[in-house]
Formats: sequence, C-alpha cells, structure tokens
Amino acid sequence: MGLGALALALTVTASACGTTDTDDGGSASGEDCNFKIGVMGALSGANASIVLPSVDGAELALNQWENDECEVTLEKFDTEGDPAKATPVATQIAGDDTFIGVIGGAFSGETRATKSIYNDAGVTMVSQSATATDLTQEDQVEVFHRLVPYDDYQGAAIAKYLTDELGASKVFVVDNSEAYGEPLADRVEETLGDSMVQRDKTEVGQTDFAPTISKMESAAPDAVFYGGYIAEAAPLLKQMRDAGIEAPFVGGDGLYGADFGNAVGDAGEGAVVMCPCAPIEEDSTFAADYEAEFGSAPGAYAAEGFDAMTVFLAALDDGARTREDVETFVDGYTGEGLSKEIAFDENGDVPQENVSYWAYKNEGGTLVPEVEVAP
Amino acid sequence: MDFDALFSGLDRHTLDGITRGSIYALVALGYTMVYGVMKLINFAHSEVFMVGTWTVLGVYTVLGVSTGETLPVVIGATLLALLAAMIASAGTALAVERIAYRPLRKKGAPPLIFLITGIGCSLVLVELFGQVFEVLFGPPFGRVTVNIPSVLETKELFTIPGIDLTITNTRVIIIVGAIAMMMALDTFVNKSRLGRGVRAVAQDPDTASLMGVNQNRVIMLVFVLGGAMAGVAALLYTIQYDITKFDIGFIIGLKAFTAAVLGGIGNLRGALVGGLLLGIAEVYASTIWSSEWANVTAFVVLVVVLMFRPTGLLGESLGKARA
Repeated sequence: MGLGALALALTVTASACGTTDTDDGGSASGEDCNFKIGVMGALSGANASIVLPSVDGAELALNQWENDECEVTLEKFDTEGDPAKATPVATQIAGDDTFIGVIGGAFSGETRATKSIYNDAGVTMVSQSATATDLTQEDQVEVFHRLVPYDDYQGAAIAKYLTDELGASKVFVVDNSEAYGEPLADRVEETLGDSMVQRDKTEVGQTDFAPTISKMESAAPDAVFYGGYIAEAAPLLKQMRDAGIEAPFVGGDGLYGADFGNAVGDAGEGAVVMCPCAPIEEDSTFAADYEAEFGSAPGAYAAEGFDAMTVFLAALDDGARTREDVETFVDGYTGEGLSKEIAFDENGDVPQENVSYWAYKNEGGTLVPEVEVAP
Repeated sequence: MDFDALFSGLDRHTLDGITRGSIYALVALGYTMVYGVMKLINFAHSEVFMVGTWTVLGVYTVLGVSTGETLPVVIGATLLALLAAMIASAGTALAVERIAYRPLRKKGAPPLIFLITGIGCSLVLVELFGQVFEVLFGPPFGRVTVNIPSVLETKELFTIPGIDLTITNTRVIIIVGAIAMMMALDTFVNKSRLGRGVRAVAQDPDTASLMGVNQNRVIMLVFVLGGAMAGVAALLYTIQYDITKFDIGFIIGLKAFTAAVLGGIGNLRGALVGGLLLGIAEVYASTIWSSEWANVTAFVVLVVVLMFRPTGLLGESLGKARA
C-alpha cells in the first residue's frame, strides 16, 4: 500500500517535471512491446566530451536494431555529471514503468548517488564508463552492471605505464579530492610504492595551481600523474609547462575526451591519457556507420555505449517484457561486444581478462593510441 | 602537515600568494565601491569579470594572434585586449545598473530585492555565455573550459640573488599592474572633483543631493569604475591562467567579496589589504597541507579577523577615505 502510493507520487512528480512521456505507464508493460531506455550523464559541461560519444553509440545500436514486435526509444537525461542533478533523474526514471533499463551513470559520483533508487525500483543499470571501485566491490546493488573494469585495475595499469613505459622512478601524484580522482590516485600510489615521490590534493573548480607547482619544483619528479577530469587538468598542465616542468603528464580516463586537446592547447602536446578501452579500428563497420550517422569518428566510450544498448535490446529480442525479466537476462548475458567480450560476474563487473588497457597520446589535439598496457 | 615546505620556500609562496591576491583585490574594488556608495552587494560583479575574460579571447581571435608573436605585436595585442576588456566589463556593469538596479531604486524597493536581482543578473549572464551564445554562435561558447592563447608568454626576467627567487615577466605585470590601477583609483576618488562627489554620496546621499551632486551619475560612475577594474583583473587573469569558462566568475567573485569584507567593505585600500592577505593565506595553507585546505583556511582567517575587527581590517569608509 505504502509502496503503491509512493510509486503513484513518483509518477505524478515525473509528469509534473515535464517529461516527454505521453504513454500510460501501465499499459506498456503487457502484451505490446513499447519501452524506453534512459541514458544519464554529463551531456553538457566541461566533461561532456567524455560522455556524448557513448550516447551516440547507444543511439546507433538502437537505429540498427531490427525487431518488428517492439518499439524502443532512447531518452537522454543531462546530469552535468553532478550527483545532485542525477538523483531527480533517477527518481523520474524509476517512477515511469515504461523505462526498462538505464545506460549509465556515466560518472562514478552520480552512479553512487542513484544506484539504490534504481535498485529499489528494479531498473537494470549498465554503465558505459563509471569506474569507481566501490560501486561493485562495496555495498553492491543487484541492478548495477558495467562494461568497464574498476579503478583498482586501471590504477595498476597506470602505475605500470609510468614505471615500465616511461621508466619513471619519481612520480608526482595529484588528485582532485573527489569520488573518481581520489581513489584512482590512491591505487596508483599504492602500486607505485617507492616510485612515488610526493602526493598532492587539489579541488574541483580550482584554476590556480601555484602551490602544487612549487611542490613539484622541489620534488623534481620524472613523471606526473593527475587523477581527475578535463576542466582542472587543462590549467594544471598549462601552469606546469609555464613553470618549466617538462616531466611527462599522465591522466586517467577522466581526460579521455575530445575536449581535452582543445582545453589544454599547445601545453598538452605529448600528454598521455590512459583508458580501459581498446581503440576502435578506423576501417571497422562501426566506425564507418558512426561517422555516417554523427559526422565524426567515434570518441570516448562510443563502443561501450553501443554495447550497453545492445545488451538491453538483446533482452527484448529474448522476450523480456518486464523490469524483472530484463534484470535476469542481463545478469546471464554473454556475447561478443564491440569493446570486449561481455559477461557480468555476481557483482556486475566484466571479467578482468576480457579488458584491455591503452595509453593514448595527445598529438596536435587528438588522442592517438600509443601502446597497450597489461596491469 | 609540512611546515618545512612552507619555510624553505617562503619567498616563493609569498610571491604566489601576492599574485593570486592581486587579482582578488582588483575584483574586490568593484564590490567595495558599489557597497560604499549604495550599501549594496552587487552579486552580478563576478560575471562582470567573466565578460572581461571572454573579451580578451575575442580580441585575440579577431586579431588572429597566438603564442610566439614579435614583441610589438604582443604589446599591441595585450594593450588592445586590456582596453577592450575594461570597456566590456565597465559596459556590463553599467548595463546591470541601468537595467536591473535603477528601476528598483526609483520605486524605492527594499534592500533584499536588490540582492536577489543581483543574483538573477549573475545567472542571466552565466547562462548567456553557457547556453544562449552556444546556440547562436556555437563554440567556443558553451559549458566547456576554453583555452586562451598565451600571447604574452611567461619568461624569466631575473633572479633575486641570495634568496634565489626567479621573477617572471607575467608576475611583474600582474602585481605592478594591479597595484598601479588601485593607486590610480584611490587617487581619483580622493583627489578629483568626481571623486569628491563619490565620497559625498557615500557619506550622506541626501545632503549630497542638496549640495548639487547628481546621485544617479555618481552611482553610474562607481559601476563603471568597478567594472573597468574587473576588466583589468580579467586580462591579468588570462595572462596568468590562459583559460576562461562560462562560470569562471563564481569562485573569483566569492573570493573577491571575501577579500573586500576582510579588508573592510567600502574601503578601497581595504580591498588591497584583504585581497593580498587572502591570497597569501590560501597559498600558505595549500603548501602546508594541500589545495583542498585553501578555502577552509581563508574563511577561518576571515572569521577570526571579524571577531576582533567586525568592520574588517581597515574599517568601512569610502566616504571617510583617508587622503
């Protein structure tokens, strides 16, 4: 009774918020197959270029889908990557029965803030890019799945790149004191051990990094790792180069977006971005289809976005018609995805052996695949 | 906690703090002048600064200049950018006063209405650059961080012997530029005829009107002067950091407002003292701990200072400005 009233209240809230939803919530989840899949992430803002290609990838998968029986629409929700803005989105999706699944959250913070809302409503989540370790390793929820490995592995791969590929023995580690950057930097620090010379913390929204730069000057590192996103990485790197610190700069997948090169300009030449994502071959059909549809080469996590949509569509092909059906199907899903061999373990993670890690180098504003790194 | 790091490079950290604080101080002038005359916190002032940074980018783009130009081109482009940023920022400040505040003043609206209106203007300007211009003109407008070409490149000028402190051209320009502008403004307010009008309205608006001072003109003047100072700050900011963003004014504005209160809001010299103190406190805290402690320390300093001197370090006194 209480739950029913709550669900009703949520539905009312959802329509009051001005969704494009015109369907009657109840009728869809029956004989006729008419569903919506949500995608939630930073569709605008400084970090949008890390998310938008995955949304386009999902849209491409939907466009290419052939199924006479079912009608599926992709609804995009812009959270600007902000957990506070993601929560109302999750409530809205959870309260609308025609949503059978969500692609996302794209970032870890918003995913952490919303996963229990989705879990309570039984909405399956398949994230294309949320990598924080705790999402699957601590207080797991049933409905959360992701197509990327967690940061423990990414951190180890980054540390390996720093020591083995760059030959660094005095790494300066900086993070942005937030849900994604801090644990990633912790893991890099842990794996580096004695190869780390100093650690410093900065803030989201910071533009003056003079104190960090002077710490770097006295530590004289032979490489710098930054755990964080593009908006702060750009001024940090520029101020480093202005101060004459020429040590190689390495970032995590939080910098893996087309805007990184634009924001950082000349100072970013040669900067390395690590990503748990294999490069998409330029002559593949996916790259050609994507280019034809959206007019640019597939960017960050485009293949993961495509794969996430494919998993949901496969559930409908298989005859799933309710949220419970979809959840059961996704839990047991195995298949050859664009990004990797897809399967989910009991925590919702893809098997570690299916993942490859790549270092991408910024050359003239474009991220070019450099080398594969095994953690 | 690393006090060694602080004391071993105290000169360097102080210089970093003064650089950061100079920009706070310039922006703080806008808050302090408007407050001194109208007893109003103009929350749209942070966006007056933001408009200045975009203007610098616009000038560089129109001129087609980038890194590595010849010295005359660098000087010319920078001065042009300075002038344009001052005009654009002053114009924005004036527009806010004419469109938003003056109609309220005419109707005798209570002070709270001015505050909310200021916040509204601030949001309008932010969304103008973050949304509207993106729709109308496309990139570089929008919500991303934008790279401004470093036309004026950082170069080492000299090293102070003995303490081994390297001085770069950009630091000299920022610190000297900021202090020179503030001294000019201080002289203007204290010595000139128009400045006397400003002080008169600040002391007693009604009596000043009776004595023939045009109150609206004085108010426009303080918005223009404060805006022009924010324009200077915008150029200096882009020289140092080479970026802008639609919401870049928010944090700078907050810090500048804090600096104004710390020094004594309504007091021009207080803005300088407050700005420099705030900048230095932040850099020291970032060095001893890390940058995430900068804000905490800055506000602890503010609270402690206000406990002992509730009107700020130098007290509120645009009207009674000590000549």
